[in-house]
Amino acid sequence: MIKIPTKVLIVDDEKDFVEMFSLRLKESGDNVLTAHSGQECLQALEKESVDVVVLDIKMPGMDGIETLKEIKKRCPIVEVILLTGHGAIETAVEGMKLGAYDYLLKPADAKEMTEKLEGARKRKDEQDERIRKAEQRSLLRRGGNI
Amino acid sequence: MTEYVEKIRLLLVDDEADFRAPLKKRLMKRGFSVLEAENGEECRAQMATEPMDVVILDVKMPGMSGHEVLEWIRQNHADTEVILLTGHACTADGVDGIKNGAFDYLSKPVEFEHLVKKIGQAVEKRRREEEKKQEAEFKARMEQQMVATERLVSLGTLSTGIAHEIDNPLAIIRESAEYVRLLLSKMEETTLPRKADLENAIGKIESAIDRASRITHQLLSFVRQPETMFTQTDLKALVSDTVNFARKEAANRKIEIVQETDWADGIIWSDPYAIRQVLINLITNAMAAIETEGTITISLSHTDATVTLSIKDTGPGIPRENLEKIFEPFFTTKPPGKGTGLGLYVTSGIIGRLGGKIEVSSQIGRETDFRVTLPRTREACESMADNKDICSDILNRIKGDRPND
Repeated sequence: MIKIPTKVLIVDDEKDFVEMFSLRLKESGDNVLTAHSGQECLQALEKESVDVVVLDIKMPGMDGIETLKEIKKRCPIVEVILLTGHGAIETAVEGMKLGAYDYLLKPADAKEMTEKLEGARKRKDEQDERIRKAEQRSLLRRGGNI
Repeated sequence: MTEYVEKIRLLLVDDEADFRAPLKKRLMKRGFSVLEAENGEECRAQMATEPMDVVILDVKMPGMSGHEVLEWIRQNHADTEVILLTGHACTADGVDGIKNGAFDYLSKPVEFEHLVKKIGQAVEKRRREEEKKQEAEFKARMEQQMVATERLVSLGTLSTGIAHEIDNPLAIIRESAEYVRLLLSKMEETTLPRKADLENAIGKIESAIDRASRITHQLLSFVRQPETMFTQTDLKALVSDTVNFARKEAANRKIEIVQETDWADGIIWSDPYAIRQVLINLITNAMAAIETEGTITISLSHTDATVTLSIKDTGPGIPRENLEKIFEPFFTTKPPGKGTGLGLYVTSGIIGRLGGKIEVSSQIGRETDFRVTLPRTREACESMADNKDICSDILNRIKGDRPND
């Protein structure tokens, strides 16, 4: 089975975490970008298209929730998975209400992470597909009107 | 009132039998219980066998003088009041006596009504002192409890702070371990002859991460638990459910679980999920204490204001020195890795949020009994809960909503 690479952007102020996590994802065939703050995350999204953002909630400066709001404003179709400590599940829930796909408790195990990444990726693909079809329909309709 | 008078024990110490006998008779008529002593030695002997409330003591006696007897009483029977009887025009004796701790003095010839009144006053003084002592003891106990509670709270705050900080490095360790595992899985044993050793080591790292994150999880889940959801809760049904859940494991270990919940009214306003958690924790603990072969008795009782669940096990008991510590976070007697020491800490936290309290008593080698008391009424909640908001927020709803009211 050939794995379709997911383009993942990892955002966490813990540099070692970002490094090891991205190494692992790359090793399993995904495309990975990294950022160490909310600002860097938004800059990265401007330059490149991304399928899934894995976003730490607790960051100095612009925190995960603020970053999530910005992401959803600028590129609503990008899926976001939140990373949170055990003590902040309410924040994660708030994040999901703001449009995040799901959340993971740190330290998350690889299996869970892979499942959620796949789920997020799938939802984005489906959404992309719906948008594509809708565009086609609108083009067709326009064509018929001529 | 007469009942109270009857309880007052008097000792009449005087060398003149002619004086003692009629006085004793009259005092007994008034309902006092009266004993006699002819001299100081006899007084000491009497008091050694029976404690006295008030001693009526003649100052002038052959042998041990009244003053000596008084000194002895003050030293050996601090709770006994002494009324001195002095010779006429010997007020100095009386004043000295008061200085040395007598309640008061009367000069002979004694006016009977006056004496009765003095006895009443002496007893009254004793009672006030007793009350004061009890009050002081109560206050000391409360203060001790406050210190213990504060200590628990600060321990809790500290440990949750640590838990937070540990989650991040744990995440890094986990990612690194999983990365190594992934790399290992891509290597052949021909290029990496000790692959199995490395995989074994990685496995150990992973299970240690699991263990550490279980601890942080338990700690933090307690501190920021989802809001309690109060609803009509049937304790009897909850007990049965939880017992069924534990029954198989119990049977395997030859543990009998007895339910004595029939006659009590177990319907209260509370959070069933939280109570289930409490029951599971306590039953699990009871089974762990018994290990194999024993009985767990779960009983339910109620008063107008409260419901009490008792979970009693026939395990080895908890030593006195541990009883105070078992609700502290990280206190455990299990070997490392087996218990987090958070079970009872979390349990007592949950019960606190429900406006209840948990108590424990234990007899070494016989049994341990955990009693969880939960409020049925708002008043009960207010008198029990540390956090008064619990009551005003939720228990307002008790009125009218309770089917049995």
